[in-house]
Amino acid sequence: MTRGTFAYVGQRFVLIALTALVVSSIVFIGVHQLPGNAFLSERQSSPQREAELLHHYGLDKPLPQQYLAWVGGVLHGDLGESLVNRGVRITPLLLRELRVSATLGLFALLFTVVLGMGLGILAATKQNTWIDYAASFGGTVGYSMPNFVTATLLILLTVTGFYAWSGGAFYEDIGWGKPEQVIVPAIALGLYPMAIISRLTRASMLEVIRQDYVRTAWAKGLRPRLVVIRHSLRNALIPVVTILGPITTSVITGSVVIEYIFGIPGLGKEFVNSIFNRDYNIVIGVFTFYAILVGLANLAVDLVYPLLDPRIRY
Amino acid sequence: MTTEQRVVSDVDTSKQIALVRIEEVVKHFPIGAGLLGGQVVKAVDGVSFEVRGGETLGLVGESGCGKSTLGRVIAQLHPATSGHIYFKDIDLVTLKGEKLRRMRQQLQMIFQDPYASLNPRMTVGDIIGEPLTNFHIARGKAREKRVNEVMRICGLNPGFISRYPHEFSGGQRQRIGIARALILNPTFIVADEPISALDVSIQAQIVNLLEDLQDEFKLTYLFIAHDLSVVRHLSDRVAVMYLGKIVEVADSKQIYDNPLHPYTKALLSSIPIPDPDLEAEREPILLKGEIPSPVNPPTGCRFHTRCPIAQFPICSEQEPPLEDKGSGHQAACHFPGQL
Repeated sequence: MTRGTFAYVGQRFVLIALTALVVSSIVFIGVHQLPGNAFLSERQSSPQREAELLHHYGLDKPLPQQYLAWVGGVLHGDLGESLVNRGVRITPLLLRELRVSATLGLFALLFTVVLGMGLGILAATKQNTWIDYAASFGGTVGYSMPNFVTATLLILLTVTGFYAWSGGAFYEDIGWGKPEQVIVPAIALGLYPMAIISRLTRASMLEVIRQDYVRTAWAKGLRPRLVVIRHSLRNALIPVVTILGPITTSVITGSVVIEYIFGIPGLGKEFVNSIFNRDYNIVIGVFTFYAILVGLANLAVDLVYPLLDPRIRY
Repeated sequence: MTTEQRVVSDVDTSKQIALVRIEEVVKHFPIGAGLLGGQVVKAVDGVSFEVRGGETLGLVGESGCGKSTLGRVIAQLHPATSGHIYFKDIDLVTLKGEKLRRMRQQLQMIFQDPYASLNPRMTVGDIIGEPLTNFHIARGKAREKRVNEVMRICGLNPGFISRYPHEFSGGQRQRIGIARALILNPTFIVADEPISALDVSIQAQIVNLLEDLQDEFKLTYLFIAHDLSVVRHLSDRVAVMYLGKIVEVADSKQIYDNPLHPYTKALLSSIPIPDPDLEAEREPILLKGEIPSPVNPPTGCRFHTRCPIAQFPICSEQEPPLEDKGSGHQAACHFPGQL
């Protein structure tokens, strides 16, 4: 960590903030072009009541004014008030849900990285053996399946299957709150990226273990573990780390489906519900959060590079 | 020459003892595995010779003759298909795992390409010093001291210890490769074309460094090269390789003054002479055609397809054995010295 690194990180934070603002502005403008509003589905909605609500949320003002007011709020970290649940401030609500999603996402990423890289290394070091073929087959299956299929199959397997096979002794409910309930959704969320990582690690490792400097490492008389980890893997990781940025994004957006299927009260579920409820303020808020998360994920990846490759400096 | 002076010294008695004995070493690489499998590249096809303690044995031959493969098989970086490699009477071919790893302390290799053979993500200090940690010889300050010492011996500024390989020139990188090979005090070094990737001006420096190191540390070299004039300068003895076989082995002086094998003669005649008048008169023996495929090497003498003095049918039917043609000068030819 040099001063240059801090300056670089500072710059990136400014860029992330700008990106989030631009993304949410686009969503803001788009959402306000949609016909209808959140109060149409309201029971016993009278024109008078609707006008009252529109006034309460400032939706009766001209769009430019609404936009300025909204930007002013965002700059203070305030994403406004839920259109459906009146009085609920969006920022603390989303922050709370973010903790749930982040927990799920981190477990999914852990599964992705550890198993994906492990399988990739194993397949590369045992190239053209049954281990390699099995890992390749598993990888192909893994990234051919959409995550809602994976999720449904996993529910079928763990909830119904294990219950039946154990004669009722094993009972696992889907939902959120108990620590073990994170496992199945994390696997469902991480399977696809895990497959990609394992294939990429294998290809990258195969390229590196044929390099002259890996032969040098063998000639030095290093232990096989050191040759594989210190000399091969470290050099093979660059493309893997590069793809971790987009993969983190796909884990974040993938959680929209997974959280809904498993009934997990995270950002993703909120996102789906807010669209159904036309709670546009929350839709914009979730998009803003996603934009920031994607920016941070990519920043994290860029900060890992110099650790792997000393020639990269910021 | 120093070789004559050494005759009386104790170094020379050890020279008669074979440090490395290579017996009938074969290395085949399978190609096109699968349904049509069974085809093999016969990169090294039954090679025997010995390297005596303290000497430099030059191994020469054109590209693709299998000399680098042989070097790697001797350094046990490729497993031999068959044959034996005795290093101090221990057969390296039978060693596995930990025992082989221990043996690498005495048996090191200098690689051809100084750009590709150094890990780009490691500092020079780590590249050179890693074996010390690995074999539990030294760590921390002691390791750094030893690395500094070896860097100085190899003509590198120890102040560069925490730099990365890409910050060095080709010649400096090769010095790093040499320092890396030296750090464990090996007795035998396989140098696989250590200078062919370098500029001519740098080549001489590296050759001199290798010579100085040999004198100082009593090293034994197997020096693989295709540059015959460098081999002549460095080697005590020379082995000439053609298509996976050794065709001639003799003292450096014998082989350059009186080559017996027509292939050796052709190789020697291709050395340019640094005198324009003599160079104009030089009549190199031009060999016909390309080196044949090592997948299907010619029958009999492998050189008969390109040999200017081949006589048929003997040369295309009977493989000439590598045998002593007098005063330790070995050649594999039916008509030695007739070209």
